[in-house]
Amino acid sequence: MPEALREMQRRFLAGIVGDDADAEELIVDDGRVGARRRLDIYRNNYRASLTGVLADHYERLHAYLGDEQFDNIAQAYVKAHPSTTRNLRYYGEALPAFLAKHFPDDGELAELAALDWALRHAFDARDTATLNAAAVGALGDAWIEQPLLLHPSAHLLRVRFNVAALWSALDAEQEPPEPVAFASPVALLVWRSGQQPSFRSLPEAEADALAQFEAGSSFTDLSAHVIAAMGEAGAMEALAAWLGRWLADGVLILAD
Amino acid sequence: MIEPDRKTAPSPGFGLGLRPDHYPDFLRGPQPVDWLEIISENYMVPGGKPLAMLDAIRADYPMVMHGVSLSIGSDEPLDMDYLAALKALESRVEPLWISDHLCWTGINAHNTHDLLPLPYDAPALDCVVENIGRVQDYLGRRILIENPSSYVTFRSSDRSEWDFLAEMAERADCLLLLDVNNIYVSARNHGFDPEDYLAGLPADRIQQMHLAGHSDMGDHVIDTHDTDVCDAVWDLYASAIRRFGSVATMIERDDAIPPLADVLAELDCARALSARALEAEHA
Repeated sequence: MPEALREMQRRFLAGIVGDDADAEELIVDDGRVGARRRLDIYRNNYRASLTGVLADHYERLHAYLGDEQFDNIAQAYVKAHPSTTRNLRYYGEALPAFLAKHFPDDGELAELAALDWALRHAFDARDTATLNAAAVGALGDAWIEQPLLLHPSAHLLRVRFNVAALWSALDAEQEPPEPVAFASPVALLVWRSGQQPSFRSLPEAEADALAQFEAGSSFTDLSAHVIAAMGEAGAMEALAAWLGRWLADGVLILAD
Repeated sequence: MIEPDRKTAPSPGFGLGLRPDHYPDFLRGPQPVDWLEIISENYMVPGGKPLAMLDAIRADYPMVMHGVSLSIGSDEPLDMDYLAALKALESRVEPLWISDHLCWTGINAHNTHDLLPLPYDAPALDCVVENIGRVQDYLGRRILIENPSSYVTFRSSDRSEWDFLAEMAERADCLLLLDVNNIYVSARNHGFDPEDYLAGLPADRIQQMHLAGHSDMGDHVIDTHDTDVCDAVWDLYASAIRRFGSVATMIERDDAIPPLADVLAELDCARALSARALEAEHA
């Protein structure tokens, strides 16, 4: 009874992923190249394609660490996190958590990775009509009662390190500053502007306001929340300034 | 004249694999290509620039869809989520046809994202034929299966790759995408005669050809798709055209992407070579 194809595939896969020499039994050993070197071609392809896609998804982290260090980390990640996705586009999501766990003394690494990943997500997130000044005008007064959400590309990150400055320097191919830990976390807003992923840091009060939309608040709900936090006069001024920017940047959408 | 029992669609001519590096060229104005091939998975995303570029360029060029994740040879149930995403992309693109590879990419929910080789034996053939049938039923059309480049021969293989492909195509009633470079790479790696390979294939099922470059390592060859098509592959292409007639042909470049003009120049070589081969055949 020949070995079932499925069992053969399990053994071959183990041979590629885990260097299991048992897989060499499955293939013809020739005098010219040899079973081990032939299988090594698949072993190398496997690692190179997954570490390559990590370098692509985490471009600024790669630039920050340099080829050798990044490759060491990527190899370790590939070993610890076999791909379970069909599409390579989605491989590597757990790298920020992996870095946080294995490099607790270099907190900027996980945060830089999280920023890279959020920007990658913003790049091809779902298209949907953004709430802009024209849309608000068309809706009339009723719009302030409508539940709002962040655009699918928009994401709030809270960071403890100066990763915004690190990212921008790396993006400009300049020497990055030294990593610095802030006294308290700083908020970053990542979103897609046109077709271009972008981010900015924002004051805690604005971040707290935007976070209200993660739960589908209306602008009326938000106003009450902000008035309670900073008093009526300050709230009105802040809300007007924030709203102008949110509508111009296209970070909000109507819920439903 | 249209033959009533013809399995393949008429050749749309000479095409290229669409790569993001070349988006600006295609948006700027008409380029001398008859059709474009997209990597399906690159557009299986929710939105943003990839889909905007796809829609804009599709408006000007016929397209075919080429996948790398179907894993038609995995001895386990097909991934229906993947198939649903493929079908959704199909309705968006309305491609001339859809292709993937004779390979498997993983098993037991572990994906290598590599085109892994199959043993060429009866159980693998049964598995592949059954899976192609399911995919074709689901999509409601014949698909194209591409010959892989491979580096190992399974001990259980009891037939040649071309015999396997010919029987697979007949039993599953599917079409073939012939990668001429892959034939050359596998011929060098396994020591067979590429002309025997061509002679063993069903001419009436070859819908498309790929041309690409590889890396010669001396005692073996690696299918890297990062360099120009070499002379030996051009010769093999001419031979294939003499055998199979006019077939939709494209340059497939996946890495170290050169300026569009360079790939267009290679495509011109394919046009000239194909025309000469057809002339010689009809002289």
